[in-house]
Amino acid sequence: MHRRVSSVRRLVSSRSFVPAVALAASGLSVLVVAPRFASAQAAPSDEAVIEYRQNLMSAVGYNMGAIGTIMKNQLVLPGAVANHAQQMADAAKLIGPAFERKVTAGKTDAKPEIWQDRAKFEQAIADYQKAASNLAAAAKGGDPAATGAAVKALGESCGGCHESFRKPKEESYKNR
Amino acid sequence: MSRLRRGVHAAKRPGDGMGVVLGRHAGRLGIVFVSMCTALFGLGARAAAPSDAERHVAEQVARAKAEGIGLRTPVQRGERVFRATGGCTCHTNYPGEAEAAPALAGGRALETPFGTYYSTNITPDPETGIGGWSDADFIRAMREGLAPDGRHYFPVFPYPSFTGLSDADLVDLKAYLDSLVPVRRANRAPDAPFPFSWRTSIAGWKLLNFASARIESEPSQDAVWNRGRYLVEAAAHCGECHTPRSWTGGLDRSRWLAGSKEGPEGELAPNITPDERTGIGDWSIPDLVWYLETGLKPDGDDTQGLMREVIRHGYSSLPREDREAIARYLKSVPPIENRVKGGD
Repeated sequence: MHRRVSSVRRLVSSRSFVPAVALAASGLSVLVVAPRFASAQAAPSDEAVIEYRQNLMSAVGYNMGAIGTIMKNQLVLPGAVANHAQQMADAAKLIGPAFERKVTAGKTDAKPEIWQDRAKFEQAIADYQKAASNLAAAAKGGDPAATGAAVKALGESCGGCHESFRKPKEESYKNR
Repeated sequence: MSRLRRGVHAAKRPGDGMGVVLGRHAGRLGIVFVSMCTALFGLGARAAAPSDAERHVAEQVARAKAEGIGLRTPVQRGERVFRATGGCTCHTNYPGEAEAAPALAGGRALETPFGTYYSTNITPDPETGIGGWSDADFIRAMREGLAPDGRHYFPVFPYPSFTGLSDADLVDLKAYLDSLVPVRRANRAPDAPFPFSWRTSIAGWKLLNFASARIESEPSQDAVWNRGRYLVEAAAHCGECHTPRSWTGGLDRSRWLAGSKEGPEGELAPNITPDERTGIGDWSIPDLVWYLETGLKPDGDDTQGLMREVIRHGYSSLPREDREAIARYLKSVPPIENRVKGGD
């Protein structure tokens, strides 16, 4: 035991150790980076982009649904509405990047206007984030009237963005 | 006209006649009305033997309290009727002119399988709107689908539903509309092929598809259910979009509220019967009440199209008990299996 430790110390203190470690590390990094590099060459599929966008929107929707379930049934869950609203505000940061790549074909209801009028789209996201933060603050404040109004405003911000940037149900891919 | 006027005065509620008179100058007289009621009620409390007038006011107060309405002016009561119709939102050209559209001044294109019809100006402008109308003119339009000059209205105007509205609600609704800002804007003729652009043909259509009738209270059901039925069938006119139509364009009442693929403006109107698979069978009453208040579905998604408008400008501003009554009634109608595609 004692002898092994001392041999390690000798190795570490020896001059040849540093280049050896550097060499090993660079070899490892080649091993680690090489496959990542290879996969970056083939871009993720449009289907994957759509799936991520839809999962992100579902996450937002589930939080909105949870807030609705709590409020309309008057469930006693202290802090829950504020928590869900905060999750919705946090998710706002993910929406822009999720819709960076233009994918409008396939099983998606994203309208081309997202990329044609990017400034309006980003503004809609900012409005949504503000509405979600307002609800989080109102729910923490504990005033039911203010919370109710903030929920309505948040729902309106969802609807406002969808009106401009999501195909209506009549044109949805779900009808195909 | 005189017959209709008598009809108004002969209505069951004692307040109705007063509503007719007050409808003209509702804003100012409403305040006088409330003050008079308060004064009379106050006197009634002091007087040893109440007079007929005092008893009348006391009855009114009791009824108003029982109905959860409170003492209100015709304009305020009329606003409740207005909200129950969905805010008469078809009379504002929202999609065409967005939020800049002058409220209730008409001009909205309503696409139907028979052609495109344009909603009318219902602001109190005396020349282009309904400012010159009497209460009887208004009641006849809403109930019989007839203009003051006797011409037929196209049934894109949902008088087959509004015909169920009570005298009191119609007079109050007119008082509310009269209190709004008049907008001068001429009505537009329909873009529809003959005979669908021909008003006289509507006489035949009415024989097939229309009957002028009030909604009678169903004694086997409670007051909430009856209120809900009145709101759904008459004021909120849900069936006009959510009930499929026959080839003549009349409502197919055998599939009442079972959804339509030919809703206004080419929209899909979902099945709102309590069918488990294709309707709202899996929506609870709180789900429905919440939806009518916020436009948010049980899964957290929002509402688009005309439904979003009628919630925003109408149902969301109703007293909560009215939304509850609508929900109660909708959950009680016969479930009909009818899938209307569109993810709803």
